[in-house]
Amino acid sequence: MDEVKNIADSTQFIVIKIGNEQFGIDIKYIDNIVRMQNITRVPKVPEYFNGVINLRGEVIPVMSLRLKMGLETDEFTKMTRIIIIKLEQHEGIGIIVDEVKEVMSLENEQIEKVSYDKEEKKTFVYGVGKVEESLVSLLDLNAVLAENQDK
Amino acid sequence: MDVSQYLEIFLDESKEHLQNLNTQILELEQDSENMDVINEIFRAAHSLKGMAGTMGYKRMQALTHDMENVFSEVRNGTIKVKANMIDILFQCLDALEEYVSSIQETTEEGTNDNEPLIKLLNDILNGNDAGATEENIEEKSESTPTAAASQPGEEPWKKIKLDDTDVSVIKAARAEGNQAYGITVYVQESCLLKAARSFLVFKALEENGEIIVSEPATQDIEDEKFDLDFSLIYLTEDPLDKVIAKITNVSEIEKAIGGVVDISGVETEKPEETAEPSEKPEEDREAETTETTPVSVSAQNAVAVPAKQEKKAVTKPVVNRTVRVDIEKLDVLMNLVSELIIAKNSLVSASAVEETSNTTFNEQIEYLESVTTNLHESVMKVRMVPIESVLTKFPRMIRDLTKKLDKKMELYMSGEDTELDRTVVDEIGDPLMHLLRNSADHGIETPEVRKARGKNETGSIFLDAYQDGNNVIIEIRDDGNGIDVEAVKNRAIERGTITAEQAENMSDKDIIDLLFLPSFSTAKVVSDVSGRGVGLDVVRSKIEALSGEVEVKTKLGAGSTFIIRLPLTLAIIQALMVMVGGEKYAISLGSIETIENITPADVKQVQSKEVINLRGNVIPIVRLAEVLDIQSKHDANESMVVVIVKKGEKLAGIVVDELMGQQEIVIKSLGKYINKCKMISGATILGDGEVALILDTNALF
Repeated sequence: MDEVKNIADSTQFIVIKIGNEQFGIDIKYIDNIVRMQNITRVPKVPEYFNGVINLRGEVIPVMSLRLKMGLETDEFTKMTRIIIIKLEQHEGIGIIVDEVKEVMSLENEQIEKVSYDKEEKKTFVYGVGKVEESLVSLLDLNAVLAENQDK
Repeated sequence: MDVSQYLEIFLDESKEHLQNLNTQILELEQDSENMDVINEIFRAAHSLKGMAGTMGYKRMQALTHDMENVFSEVRNGTIKVKANMIDILFQCLDALEEYVSSIQETTEEGTNDNEPLIKLLNDILNGNDAGATEENIEEKSESTPTAAASQPGEEPWKKIKLDDTDVSVIKAARAEGNQAYGITVYVQESCLLKAARSFLVFKALEENGEIIVSEPATQDIEDEKFDLDFSLIYLTEDPLDKVIAKITNVSEIEKAIGGVVDISGVETEKPEETAEPSEKPEEDREAETTETTPVSVSAQNAVAVPAKQEKKAVTKPVVNRTVRVDIEKLDVLMNLVSELIIAKNSLVSASAVEETSNTTFNEQIEYLESVTTNLHESVMKVRMVPIESVLTKFPRMIRDLTKKLDKKMELYMSGEDTELDRTVVDEIGDPLMHLLRNSADHGIETPEVRKARGKNETGSIFLDAYQDGNNVIIEIRDDGNGIDVEAVKNRAIERGTITAEQAENMSDKDIIDLLFLPSFSTAKVVSDVSGRGVGLDVVRSKIEALSGEVEVKTKLGAGSTFIIRLPLTLAIIQALMVMVGGEKYAISLGSIETIENITPADVKQVQSKEVINLRGNVIPIVRLAEVLDIQSKHDANESMVVVIVKKGEKLAGIVVDELMGQQEIVIKSLGKYINKCKMISGATILGDGEVALILDTNALF
């Protein structure tokens, strides 16, 4: 087997935008990114679940990251995307984001871990990445998704 | 090479063998002289031992080894089957099952040596040749079943069958001064990497010569589909002793024996017999002996082999030509069929929109429709397995319960060949077991009571499975005490489940339904068998999870019947599509009784619930728009469409805005992130790619 160059100390993130804030999602959990499409509402589920979509024959639930974070309701634009996330051992789930910007590689030293904050939306973030002038909040997907099961 | 890749096969086959042993030992209890049964038991125990040994499960191997010893003596007629022996054997099976389940969970067999059991087994052997060595047993198993094919002690390589080409190759080799040897190589029993060792043997031999035939076939040897020995026909110019030395040089090879091949004999003895390597491994595994002759039960060979072998064919069930397929592969196939049906549906809807009255186009769509329907049916059939695999463990259970509860009862089963989807069969075992235990514990009375009541002392429990349209029905019936409705009622009042007034108004059926509530048991004493109050509600929820339903009929003093109704298929159903406030929902056609047009004036209020009177039946109605939080687009003053759905014998009406027609839909799970809504059992993808939700009408009741 060829020695792959040591990539352990850097991670690739997809940078997304929600409102004015930038978030990073670890690329290894991302299964797909699709455009906004018709979402079928599912009754009697938490508000932040928009419903389900048909992703090439699979029924995938879709949730709003905005509502989950306690922000105002999404406004669907041409830039709106659904990011399909697959955590190990879980089936896929889509999260709606305002915009997908770029792929970014962060060295470990560029990532600053943040401890849990009382402010609610921060609890979904496990670290902050610093690139040049901008800051990217790194989403803790387990926290974003796991809470759904409790409620 | 790593044995872990065989773990799944090992588990599957061990379970099969254990089940087989259970059944056969039960039979042995009835008929302790039946040689066929004893042989079958011996074979199953032997294969279990071999498999456990190969996989390195020493404890399991040790226990099966001792069991095998006992059976061997029984077979030789030196030990008679006694009742306590059967009990011990059953305990051994339970211990083996423990090993297997432990292996399944942790891949380790656990640390229980089961020494008491081994001692008991050895006690049985006492007085006989208790120290019968492994080799002795091996030899017996080797020689007995193959006696027809060869004299005992003959070297296995002599049983290799040579076809014409092999013979001519050998002849040609001889002309060149080479010699043809037949060699049988024995691998040490402790050898873990048999395939690797045999590969080394092959490699060593091919350095200076040619292997023309091997038995089993090379591929099977590589796949480790042989017991402890394999045989070869080998062409070389080296002398035999040198060849043998070469082989035994390979480590973990026990020994090798060989001799010069006598082709003249081969030619004249069995001129038309051809070796069928592809069939042999299966046969060998089935027969689980170390034989190397291809004993096939196929008609073609049965003619060629001596009559003695026919006896063997009787004792061994005819091997169906089957393929073991991973259920996941079938799921993939099923998914593809589903995709095809979705694609077909979208073609149908496209043609409806275009309104192109193009007849050829429509004809082709209809053709496609019939093909997809057939394809779907075939794939479903592949997934169908007889319910038998679940039922076979019940006779043993009832036997044990008979002893434990000190009651007399018999289990009669019918319809074991009724087929159900594999996923359903896997899940249905526990509920059925619960119900049978219930019948045995609560239903059947003690012999004294039965006698006093003028019944046969021996109680009967019946389990009947049969297909009814698109459903499979499983009935569990006993001729025992039946359910005492008054007792249930009193108990419910006592526990505060219902009030006395409520009880007055409840029908017997409603009261019996209380039994299905969590933690409700009428048994006066909590017994080991049942009555902990965790039974029936689990049964119900499990069966409802399979989209089935349970119903109880009972007559005090005469017995009760539990009727389980299960859908034949789970993945694709016929559904009625309905529209409510702009959203589409699917209702399974199977649960729909009728569809009615109701004027608002017909809706009455009873106990502040809306009901309608339909041909004498008072039916509660549910406004779908309300329960699903939708704004109905329907004018409240106009007559409304009510879909009457049933659950068991109960009916309910669902008010919808509009009907859209019948459609074949593919059920998709909503996934666990979003399955909190009880009203929705799944989703489906419509022809236009849109997702529609499937209503679980059972949740309305």
